[in-house]
Amino acid sequence: MPLLDHQMALGQCLRGTDAEARTAPILDAKEQGQIDRIVESAGFRFTRRVQRSWCRGRVASVARLTLSALPPEQAQKLLGDWIEMGGGTASHTAAEAGAFLEFIARDLPDPSHARTICRMEQAIYRASEAATDFECPDLRLLDDPAAALCAGQGAARVDFFAEPQQLLTAIEEGKRLPPLSETYIAVLFAPGLAGLFRAASADEIALWEELGTPTTIRILDSLYGRDVIKELFRIGAAELAVRQDAGRSISAGSAHNLSADTPPNTAGNRGAPLRDADAPAISRHQCRCRARV
Amino acid sequence: MPAVPAASSAAVAGTASSKPLGIGFPYISVLPPELYRSGLLDFVELTPDTLCRARRDGAATRLDLAPERLERARKVCGALPVVVHGVELSIGSAQHWNAAYLDMLDQLQACWPFVWHSEHLSYQTIPGENGAPLDIGVPLPLPGTWEAVDLVAERAAVIRQRYGVPFLLENPAHYLINLPYERGIDDEIGLITQITARSGCGQLLDLHNLYCNAINLGFDPFAAIDRTALHRVREIHVAGGSWRGGFWMDAHNGRVPNPVWELLAYTLPRCPNIAGVVYELLEEYAPRLGVAALDQELSRARYLWERHGPGSRAQD
Repeated sequence: MPLLDHQMALGQCLRGTDAEARTAPILDAKEQGQIDRIVESAGFRFTRRVQRSWCRGRVASVARLTLSALPPEQAQKLLGDWIEMGGGTASHTAAEAGAFLEFIARDLPDPSHARTICRMEQAIYRASEAATDFECPDLRLLDDPAAALCAGQGAARVDFFAEPQQLLTAIEEGKRLPPLSETYIAVLFAPGLAGLFRAASADEIALWEELGTPTTIRILDSLYGRDVIKELFRIGAAELAVRQDAGRSISAGSAHNLSADTPPNTAGNRGAPLRDADAPAISRHQCRCRARV
Repeated sequence: MPAVPAASSAAVAGTASSKPLGIGFPYISVLPPELYRSGLLDFVELTPDTLCRARRDGAATRLDLAPERLERARKVCGALPVVVHGVELSIGSAQHWNAAYLDMLDQLQACWPFVWHSEHLSYQTIPGENGAPLDIGVPLPLPGTWEAVDLVAERAAVIRQRYGVPFLLENPAHYLINLPYERGIDDEIGLITQITARSGCGQLLDLHNLYCNAINLGFDPFAAIDRTALHRVREIHVAGGSWRGGFWMDAHNGRVPNPVWELLAYTLPRCPNIAGVVYELLEEYAPRLGVAALDQELSRARYLWERHGPGSRAQD
């Protein structure tokens, strides 16, 4: 049997997801018999148990806080569902942390502490990943009024409906969570922040909301103080929307407010039009933030 | 397919002699740094994945060395020589191997040269629906086919060229009976022997893996050692495991079982090019085991090394 067929047949049996059955190799009777003898053995069943256990351990480690904030049965079910969908197989699970947390967030009530923690863990992954090669941008780039800004790819805003430290301590210590407040504390996560996060000011919150759509500095200047714009730009919470050749629709960054329901890579602000007072001049260019995956 | 003639010289590139290092231990970030300056070990085995961050780069995953982790590891290891033990290459995958791992290894070698490096003889990815590598979730053993021999031997030879230091393949632990073996290969010993002979790479003989397979698949580990190309063995691993679901599991979760020490005592004097013995332990179990137990395991390894290793032969 060709090596590729052998590996695909065994690998797919081990992963055991329905979606992969479509790529199963076509084996003749002898080859199928060879695979069956392996797959029907106790050793293969044990290997599958080990595989599931490893996957579970990997995934649990990337969403530790969020899973701690959920009732144990719910946490176990979410983990199990994700593993059955093929999750947790990569050794470097951090790469799928965002997707798993998005998967969890789908069914969490909004607002809820669990959802806040989920978004916070997601924001930390995003900001820390972006921080690895983040350099403070040249602030003179803001001197071009026609340039457009959008939300930074490594940035996020997360709203806490309790004092954040109190909430985190309660989760860490397995204590009763504080009541859900009617007001919230907005926390900004960005790669250029020491420690990656801090409370956001009211002006920053307002500007951040604006950045959901790529907006020219001309407009931003008319609405916000230059200091606020500079600060969000400096810490990577805002970044230049990159212009490309004409002919395609404009799309913006995927970060923005993590309380949005859409997954990080398909966020609702992608494809949004560029906002500017003299839009026709700008719209000759395509404008796009670096795609985040 | 003709069988490969046995290598006639001990000075094959994969095992080319340099000064034996002695007793090694993995770099485990949660252990007290003093352990690495205690004199209990002569070299450190790095699993570079633990020094990396993974990130998506289009459809691929990129591995970047994390400067702060690297810096801490270098500080802890001090002047001890390092060897690299990879778990991510998937050298046996029919369609892909992990090019990102090799890119990362290039970076590591440039800033922290290693004496040799090793990888498991296994595969952990298959092509997905769009042809991109799909992780299986655990490493799987290769079938004993000449196609597998050719594939891995060719890749191992490329790796030897690329890094210019010995490259070793490790015999894996697994639980799969009924794996097919073609004539002339015959079993897992034959498979790794053919690959190392063709590629010129060395072998990392993991005695705990051999012990696991002997128990779970039913063969005599001493007879398996007798059939191993021991002149190619540059490094030996010992480790602990535990029973689970009726199988002895390669868990790296504690002390080395006595039969594995016995295998080490048997094997060491038979390996003319042995350069080091590493006691493997997973990071998550290290704090629970404790430094006192680590001391005992490393001391026992040293006792056997001094009694049966290259130093003992020099004195003879």
